[in-house]
Amino acid sequence: MSEPTCQAVPPASVLGVGAVTPIGRTLESIAVALAERAAQSQSPLLVADELLSDATTARRMRRAGRWASLAATAATDAWTGAQHAFHDDGDVGVIVATGFGPHVRTFRFLDGILDCGDASALPTDFSHSVHNVAAAYITELLGLRGRSCTLADFEAGFHQAVLLGQCWLAEGACSRVLLGAVDELGEVLLHLAGRMTDPADRVLPGEGAVFVTLGKGGISGTAQIDALSIPTHSDLLVVDEPPMHHHGAPPTIDGGTPATFTPYFGHSASSLALQTLGALLAVSKRFTPANVGRPIDSAIVRRRLWNGRHVELALAARPSC
Amino acid sequence: MDVASTLTSLRAGQRYSSQAPFETSITAPVFPVRGQLPELPGLRNSSRTLLLAMAAINEAMSSAGLARFGHDVRVGVCLGTTIASQLNNLPFYREYRAGGQPPLDAVHEFLNANLGEAVADMLQVDGPRMTVVNACSSGTDAIGIAASWVRLGLCDVAIAGGADELSRVPLAGFWSLGVMSSKLCSPFDQDRDGLNLGEGAGVLVLESAESATRRGHALAFEVAGFGAGCDAHHLTAPHPEGRGLRAAIDAALRQAEIEPADIGFVNAHGTGTLDNDRVEGAVLAKVFGPGIKALSTKGYTGHTLGGAGGIEAVFTLLGLREGWIPASAGFAVAASDIPLQPLSKPTPIAAEYAISTSLAFGGNNAALILRRTA
Repeated sequence: MSEPTCQAVPPASVLGVGAVTPIGRTLESIAVALAERAAQSQSPLLVADELLSDATTARRMRRAGRWASLAATAATDAWTGAQHAFHDDGDVGVIVATGFGPHVRTFRFLDGILDCGDASALPTDFSHSVHNVAAAYITELLGLRGRSCTLADFEAGFHQAVLLGQCWLAEGACSRVLLGAVDELGEVLLHLAGRMTDPADRVLPGEGAVFVTLGKGGISGTAQIDALSIPTHSDLLVVDEPPMHHHGAPPTIDGGTPATFTPYFGHSASSLALQTLGALLAVSKRFTPANVGRPIDSAIVRRRLWNGRHVELALAARPSC
Repeated sequence: MDVASTLTSLRAGQRYSSQAPFETSITAPVFPVRGQLPELPGLRNSSRTLLLAMAAINEAMSSAGLARFGHDVRVGVCLGTTIASQLNNLPFYREYRAGGQPPLDAVHEFLNANLGEAVADMLQVDGPRMTVVNACSSGTDAIGIAASWVRLGLCDVAIAGGADELSRVPLAGFWSLGVMSSKLCSPFDQDRDGLNLGEGAGVLVLESAESATRRGHALAFEVAGFGAGCDAHHLTAPHPEGRGLRAAIDAALRQAEIEPADIGFVNAHGTGTLDNDRVEGAVLAKVFGPGIKALSTKGYTGHTLGGAGGIEAVFTLLGLREGWIPASAGFAVAASDIPLQPLSKPTPIAAEYAISTSLAFGGNNAALILRRTA
């Protein structure tokens, strides 16, 4: 069941986007890969290490694990690349959504317990295994002193983050919200994906991070994003489901011309964010979805959940005045 | 195990600690929940954190006069945790590391224990649902978010709070950080030397005035204000001047539209660590004055991590309701580095407002102002 219309919480404007994905880091390179339909052939779909190396933050991120680095890289790009120059007066919010959090660092801490004993495991591994470590790095790197929240969800975390960001903007608690989703594909998770999924589902394990800088809605020249009020139809319906649903005959789905970006980004607890990235690039005219064949102005991103519910995000272009 | 027995224990100043109820080489007191937790029918592989949460939710719903929710009531669920968000089962990982194919029970338990999702599905409600994992401020943040949902009309009722179970992994983690005491903790005391871990859950049922009126239920309390702020300073240490905490308290006071003098008492985070208590005590004394009635309840519960904010919100509300607050367990001698002395005996209060504060790993800070309206 999708969320009902809520007049008190308007859509938000997307002022900046940052991402690190299996097909690139810059929006230009990602858009080119999507436009050229350069789906990845390897599995799993991992982010290249060199995309995370950044000379300006290397020292401050030297203790951070890969998960926090994925998040910090995407968040920094979404913040520094945001339109509409802005000074933080302590009212910029940060929201990080994740499914499995810094699980690789958690298992490294467990290694310490098993190898060295309970009292002698490495404290740095413990402190970096806490879910809000990414938000801590982001706020420290960017000097953001507003509120911060980390959310855990295996499927709809990015939807929840957008909803919370809209609430913070609507209540005036924040003037900007930097939010996103991040998940890392570690060895244990890959092991579990192999044991817990049906090969017929063609699950393609992936990883990545997507962050957006949101401001109040209605800013011209930006895309609008909404987790609450979903139109019945749009130019594009991006479906975040296992690829088995997209082979053979196109599915019959209400809402728009169907598409999925799963072959580029893979499946992860953050794949809703990555699908939204593809839709955002399409709505902002950075690429044209091949099966639509024309620039699009609106999209719905839909994720069907394990329990039968689904969540949706609506995107719409707001042309410059 | 419930509000009534908890009040009795608080009044008597009882501290029910024990050694860890699992294998560990660490010798430090912990605060387990005593008694049998309720079964969850139809749910295999239930995590203890989820069971703790449901015990608190059932009691909260009962006290709100809500046996179940009708289809015409939109209900949100926002719960904080730390343990339930981590796949950190040691037996599973030991066997995996040895090259085996460990049973997946621990993984299923983990996947079924996302508090927001699991509770909303069990209650069969379809409002917004979230699991907040802001370390030690998770429960307070969850209540603040849920209150916002109700104000904005996203739901009529919200179930909000936090839960966490005792676990070997955070025990090892806090020990490795050197912030645990090997004796009973003594928040804000001159001789404080660290925290104790505990477990538990604390949950509030929030409801819009319109919804309560429709079902003829009188609301006696309200979430008057919530604020949060980041230190943007250090992963594990608070900002030396408590920058984020100050911002959180100021924001909560602004939203409540009250002055510091309107606050009757402070339920402080008060972990018993050197840094937390020094910074928090300084900020509280600066904002509310050194004579503010203050206490930490962690001397009774231990630090329940993601559950702490929920539990302490319940304690704060009980203080407003009962007209007294307990002694700050473990406090005996005023600390030379803290300009604030918590209460050393149960104390009557007659307050309309009280505040509960939370500080967390990662520089998260949160403040929740509760108001007695009847």
